[in-house]
Parts: sequence; C-alpha cells; structure tokens
Amino acid sequence: MSDNRFYDSPIEEVAPGNTFLDSNELVLNMGPQHPSTHGVLRVILKLDGEKVNGIECVIGYLHRGIEKVAEHRTWAQFGPFVDRLDYTAAVSNSLGYCLAVEKLLGVEVPKRAQYLRVILTELCRLASHQVWLGTHVLDIGAVTPLFYAFRDREDILNVFEKYCGARLTTHAFRIGGCRWDAYAGFAEQVLHICDDLGPKIDEYRDLITGNRIWLQRTKNVGVISAEDCIAYGITGPVLRGSGVEWDLRKKQPYSSYEDFDFDIPIGTAGDTFDRYVVRVEEMHQSIRIIRQATEGLMEGPIIAKVPKVIKPPVGEVYVSIEAPKGELGFFLVSNGSAMPYRVRVRPPSFINLQALEKMAKGSLVADVVAIIGTLDIVLGEVDR
Amino acid sequence: MKIIEMVRRFLLIDLLEGMWVTFRHQNPSDLVTEQYPMNRPEISDRFRGQPRLVKDENGKLLCTACGACALACPEKLIKVGSLRDPETKKKVLTDFDFDLGRCMFCGLCEEACPSNALNLSSGYELALYTREGLELGKDQLENGIQGKVYDK
Amino acid sequence: MIQSILQYLHSDVTPGVAGNLFWVVVYVLLVFAGISVGVIFMNWFERKIMAHMQVRMGPMRVGPHGLLQPIADALKLIIKEDLMPANADKIVFWFAPVCVVMTAFCGFIVVPFGPTHAITDMNIGVLFMLGVSSLGVLGVIMAGWASNSHYPLMGSLRSGAQMVSYEIAMSMTVVSAVMMTSMATGTGTLSMIGIVQAQLQQHTWFAFSFFPVGLTALGVFSIAMVAETNRAPFDLPEAESELVAGFLTEYSGFRWSLFFLAEYAGMIAVSSIATTLWLGGWLRPFPNLLGGKNWDTAFSLVPGITFVALAALCLFYFTRMPSIRAMRADARGLAAFGGVLGVIGIVMLLPGVRVRVQDIYWFTLKVGFFMYLYIWYRTTFPRYRFDQLMKIGWKVLLPISIGVVIMTALIGVRQELLALVWR
Repeated sequence: MSDNRFYDSPIEEVAPGNTFLDSNELVLNMGPQHPSTHGVLRVILKLDGEKVNGIECVIGYLHRGIEKVAEHRTWAQFGPFVDRLDYTAAVSNSLGYCLAVEKLLGVEVPKRAQYLRVILTELCRLASHQVWLGTHVLDIGAVTPLFYAFRDREDILNVFEKYCGARLTTHAFRIGGCRWDAYAGFAEQVLHICDDLGPKIDEYRDLITGNRIWLQRTKNVGVISAEDCIAYGITGPVLRGSGVEWDLRKKQPYSSYEDFDFDIPIGTAGDTFDRYVVRVEEMHQSIRIIRQATEGLMEGPIIAKVPKVIKPPVGEVYVSIEAPKGELGFFLVSNGSAMPYRVRVRPPSFINLQALEKMAKGSLVADVVAIIGTLDIVLGEVDR
Repeated sequence: MKIIEMVRRFLLIDLLEGMWVTFRHQNPSDLVTEQYPMNRPEISDRFRGQPRLVKDENGKLLCTACGACALACPEKLIKVGSLRDPETKKKVLTDFDFDLGRCMFCGLCEEACPSNALNLSSGYELALYTREGLELGKDQLENGIQGKVYDK
Repeated sequence: MIQSILQYLHSDVTPGVAGNLFWVVVYVLLVFAGISVGVIFMNWFERKIMAHMQVRMGPMRVGPHGLLQPIADALKLIIKEDLMPANADKIVFWFAPVCVVMTAFCGFIVVPFGPTHAITDMNIGVLFMLGVSSLGVLGVIMAGWASNSHYPLMGSLRSGAQMVSYEIAMSMTVVSAVMMTSMATGTGTLSMIGIVQAQLQQHTWFAFSFFPVGLTALGVFSIAMVAETNRAPFDLPEAESELVAGFLTEYSGFRWSLFFLAEYAGMIAVSSIATTLWLGGWLRPFPNLLGGKNWDTAFSLVPGITFVALAALCLFYFTRMPSIRAMRADARGLAAFGGVLGVIGIVMLLPGVRVRVQDIYWFTLKVGFFMYLYIWYRTTFPRYRFDQLMKIGWKVLLPISIGVVIMTALIGVRQELLALVWR
C-alpha cells in the first residue's frame, strides 16, 4: 500500500488487503489492452459471481495534451489537431472548431461553403456510425457486419480522399469556409453513395435487427432513464434512445441545418436495442440530408474574407455541434493574440462514459462489453 | 397474427434470413480485397502524401526560399536555408530540411506556399527501418525518395 | 498369415467383426489419416468460406489461394516455445490435451463410411460414440484445473456445464432415431451400420420419415451438436472478447493445436452421427426410387466427375493468375494441384475403383454439408450469453426432444393404438 494514490487507489479502496477467496466479491481488471474496450480504456469490475456490483473506469492512457498544445499553435495551425480527438469522425470535429473560431471572429460563412460542410459532416456521421455498428456487433459475437460496414465506409472515405486528400485525419475545413471546392464528379459520387447505402443499411437489419439472439443480448441491457441522462449531462444517441427529443441540429441549428428536412429518431426504453435502432435510423436520416444538400448546392464563394494571421478580439465563446457521439463543444478564450489563450473541448464520449456505472450495475459480466459498445466511446475524445 | 409470429419463431425464420444474407455475399464479384502489392489503390489528385519540391518545365525549382511553409507548419519541422544571389538579388534555395517523422501531413505548408513549389504528392510508401532516414534533404524532396526495388 | 490377409477381401463384414487384425490396423491408419486430412482441409475451408461471406478473400499468399496455409500454421505451432505455468499441475496439464484428442478420435472406430468400410461395427455403436464424446468433457475440465488460474478454471467449468447440458437433448433425439429403426421390422438396432441399413429398408432417410418428427429430431440434434462442440453461437467460453478467457489460455504451441485438432475432430464426429442417423449415411440419393443397374452406374460416376470438375476449377483459376515472376511458383503449384485432382478423378471413374469409393464419397459429402453449416453459423450469428445458453439447453431443447421421443413412440405403436381405439 504505497502513497501513490493514482496507481493504487481503485483496487485498494475496493478490496483492501483481501484476496478473492475471502469474500464473494471478485475484483476483475479489464485492462487497457483488451479486444473490446474500443481503445485503451481500463475498467475495474467488482463482481459477485457473474453479477456486476460496481464499475470503475480508469482513463488517461491516450492523453496527448491536445488542449495544452493549442496554447502554443496559432488558430489555423490548431486545425489539424482537432481531427485527432474523435478520430472516427474527424470532419465533425473540424466543423465544430471552425464554427467556434468563426463565431469569435464574427465571420459569416458563405452559403455554398455551409452546404458543402453539411454534406461532408453528414457523410462523416455515416462513417462514424458504421464503425460503431461493426465494432459493437463484433463485441456481441457476430463477425460479419464489421466487414460489411467497413466495406460501405470505404466509399465514403474515397470521397474524403478525393475532396481533401486524406481519409481519416481530413483537416477538411478552414476558418471562414472550405479550402477546396467540390471536385468534378463530387455530386454524382455522393448521390451514388446515397442510393447505394440505403439498401445496405437495410441489409444490416435483416442480418441483425430481427435476429433473436441479438434481441436477447440487447433488450433490457444497459437501461438508463431519461432523468438520469439529463442529470449526467449525456447527449447524443444515448439521450435520444432514452426518449428525450434533443438534437442540436434541430434545437440550435448551425451551418444551414434549418434548410433541410429530416427527422430525429427517438427511442423509448433506453436500452441497448433502442440506442442501436436510433443510430441506424440516424444513418437513414443522414442520407436524406446529404441528398437534399447535394441537390440544393448553389454557386458562390467557398471561403469568407479572413485575415492571413487570425487574431480574434479578446473574449470567449462556446459553440457546440451535434457530433455523431453527442454534443461536441468548443470553449475558446482569446486574449487578442495569434494563439489561443485556452481551448477547452467538451468531449461527448467522456461525459457519456459516466453512464457506464449506472447502466452496468446489476447486469452480468457479458453485458458489460455490450454496454461499452453501445455508449460508442472513442478514447481519443475521452482522453484528448 | 400471433400464429404467424409463433410459426416464425419455431421455424427459426429470422435466423434463416440472416443466413441468407451472408450466403448471398459469397458472390465472387462482391469481394473487395485489394491484393497489395499486386493491386495498388487509386490515389486522388489532392492526396497529401510524400512532400516534393516542384520543378518547372526547364528543370528549375519553383521554390523562392521565402520560408512561408516553415512558418505555417504546426510542428516547425521545415528548415529553409537560402543564399542571396548577388546578380538577381533574389534568394536561392540551398537547403530544405523536412523531418518526415514528425509530419502529420496536414497540408498547411502546401497551402501557404505562394509559388506552388511545395506539393504533397501521391507517394505513400514511405516506411523505413531507421528514424534517421526520415529526415529528408533537398535532393530527396526534388527527386523523390528512391525506394529499394525487391525481386518478389 | 498372407492367407488370412487375403481371406478378408472376400468377406462382407467390417474387419473388426471379422476379427482380422491386419486389416483392422490398416483401416485404423486410413481413418486416422483421413480425419487428419479432414481437419487440415476444414481449417483452410473455414478461413476461405468465412472470408468469402465477409466479402474478402481469405489466405491467398501462402501457396496458391492459401492452400498451404494450414501446413504453415501447423508448422508454426509445432516450433513454438512450450510454456507451462510455474504452479500448474504438470501431469494433468500434460494429460488434458491428450485426453481430449484420444476421446475425439476414439469415436471414429464405429463410424461407417460404407457397408463394410468401418473399423468395426459394434452392436452398441451409437451408444459408444456418445459415451466417448462425453469423456471429452473430462479433458476440458482437466485443462482448466491444471492451469492453476482463476479465469481458465471458470471458463472450463462453464464449458463443461454447457457440453453436459446439451448432451442430454442430443441423446434424446438419438433415442428417437433408434426407435425409428424398429418401425419396419419390429426390432431396432444401435449399430451404426444397422441404422443405415434400416433406412435403406424403409426406403426413406429418417430425416424425412413421419414428417415432421424426423426433421424436428434432426433440427434439435443440429443445434445441440453446435453447442456440444463449443462453436458459435454457443462459443462464449472460448470467445476472445469476453473477460473470462476460457480454458485454453495457458496452452500454446503444440498443446493448443491438439485442442484445436480435437475440436474439429469432434465436429466431424457429431456430424457423422447426424449423417448416419438421419441423412442415410453412405446411401446415395434415392437408392430405392431410382434403383436398377443403370441408375447405380450413373450415380457411381458422380465422385469421379466431382474431382474432375474441381480440377477444371483449379485450372480455370490457374489461367486467371497474374503472370508476374513473383507468382510463378504459386501458379505452377495450382496447376500441379489441379493435375493431381484430375488424376484422382480419372482413377475414380474406373469401374473397379468407383464401386468401392462411392459410399465413402456420399458419406463425406453429407458430413461436409454439416461442416459448411458450422461455418455458416459462425459467420452469421452473435453469441449467446451463458445464462441464455443454459436456458435454451434445458428449457427449450430438452422438452422438444422429449416430445419427439414420445411422438416417435406413439407412431411406432400406431397399429396397436388404432386397434385399441377402433375396437
């Protein structure tokens, strides 16, 4: 029992000096290296046989000090770093940061750029949900939908590559708009994706949604009520799966989302199955938005007039967007210089992870893996 | 419709539907594997890969050694060395150090260059066995990294 | 001695029944070699079929289209370091894989590949096979115990409990199939060869007799056999993404490959039971309906034609191989493999050979169908949680199988029942 509270704390508090033979409770460490913790998440379980009595998460294995790095880069140079937060949905992070800096600068983004941003962000939402779908279903045991999801994701990543030159860490947007215009054949390729992807998502439904094994593994597993969600500050599909109708694209529209017609899927029971259905339905709605945006893409400039060296006036701003994982917020403090004074990211995965203990208490060990999957956490965001 | 529901459950129809989906995907024309290195992927024009210094049609480098790329880089890994040519009074590039090991291929240097002299091209086979080999000099950026050609 | 060896060639019973030791040893070696080849083939087949169902190609580099991959895997496992945990119980640790492999292979003593193509034909054949496969549970529990670690022990106990629960449902359906053998003659038989001959006599495979009783029995057995062999969707004890790592954790290298060998041999064994009991064993399709010499000859050409078709497929893929120098060895290997298959096919078309080989071919085809189903299940279904697994074994499959037994019994005494009712 050393004084190093950081390393000894969880296990010593939970079972001080006991061996697992002394009591019925077993302390199990689902360590940072594990096939189903979606990154380097360490989960310490207090088990009574097969039942989970308590959960403690230890995070920080992927901490890279992104917020500190921001204080030593200019506003434009920080753009590529933001992609590395939620690396499955890099375009979305870029959108949030750019919107925040634009609000600080007071810059109005041209309409064509806003529509391009919406198209790419919704494509990115599709890509992120496909990663979630593949890995979540893989944890529960079905090995094939992972490959189908990643195959469909390839089409989207090809669009990103043609548009901005990279598939994963896209650095797609700049402060003031977009750097590149749509390439030749952009609209055709994107509409082709919209047409192709709808039936493929329905294929996942045939393979998974009606499957009795899937229903048994996900119904009534990881239930969280709407009040608890709001109390914890949970956002995103987890909140909508519990029945709360809250989506920032509808409630606080940004970047011309008010021009588009789409629905928000809401669950009822707040269990894993409802969150699964909400996310799959969100994919369908994203396809709707992309189609409307591509067909309505008008001519015009793609970037606003922004000075070469960005020096926003002294002040602070908080801007949040509906990222695929939840509400991604950027709190920027500027002291008038070319470098930010403070950048604080409100990471949706970090805040959603609080729900893990509430959801998993009382369930079986095999369900913990399913619950971590349904929260859709990305450690890049949790740890930054 | 309870009867139909019960019959579906007993005859395992939902499981059979799932099995039909996986069976259908065995069609050989559906396979998406690219057998690298025999099939190489198509790279787009805007791909941000290996950095190259661009020459004009006479073989002269377009770079004017202004140092805008070095200022723009978030990681400060570009070092531009130059001499002022006594006749034309313009800067001439002598050294260009690019530390590829720390580069995150963000493209800010390419964007900042006023003469389109620095280009992140389509090379992506940049792996080496030592870290020192990743510090590129001017000739490697001009002529590209010469890969070792293996027999198989 | 030569006399006794040659004498067996004219008999029409299995060597075990005939008491001919030489031929018993020959048949044992043949079956052992055949099952080993089957396991190796299964490894390649599973990886390829799973990959194709997942829209990717499987192994393609090691040998043409990955045909040498199982050999490369086996070689790697053999030359790996042999680790044993420091506090493990050495004798039990050594013995557990041996036990599992022995029980898996012992069951093949009674499996009939043809009317005389079995090592022996015990008159309690089915019972022997079920008993021997139950001994495999002992090996699994020994493996978990010997690892001297909490998690493998829990995993092995769970695995053992699962195997035992599903064996009961399996055995009930086997009882129903055995009862069906007595429908025509009034006396049933537990001997594997006898069961197939009863199907021949009754002019129907037991899967299709007294619809839907036979089909339900086959269905229940299919599900129970997947759980018995710890395969998806019942593979929680050996799943990689679960916390309790399963009884195989401490085993590496050659010992692990023994467990793996035993698992696939066990899969082939229970598939053989299912084939013999319900799908007519070595019988060709429609032996009675399409009887007569011409049909017999036509059906006996099928094995040879299959191999020739496979050879043609190999040669087709050979023409599509890229003609770069790096792929030359692969291309020539594929052509050679196609050539070997073609030669085997042509040999199997010769009249003397094809009469002997056709039973083995039909039997292997039916077992191969079950193997394909195993792979198909693994690719498609998510995993059951352990409590749901046990619930299905005890609360769903067992009542259905008992119902099937009762239905079969009622059908068996239907004349007497009707006489009772109509009196």
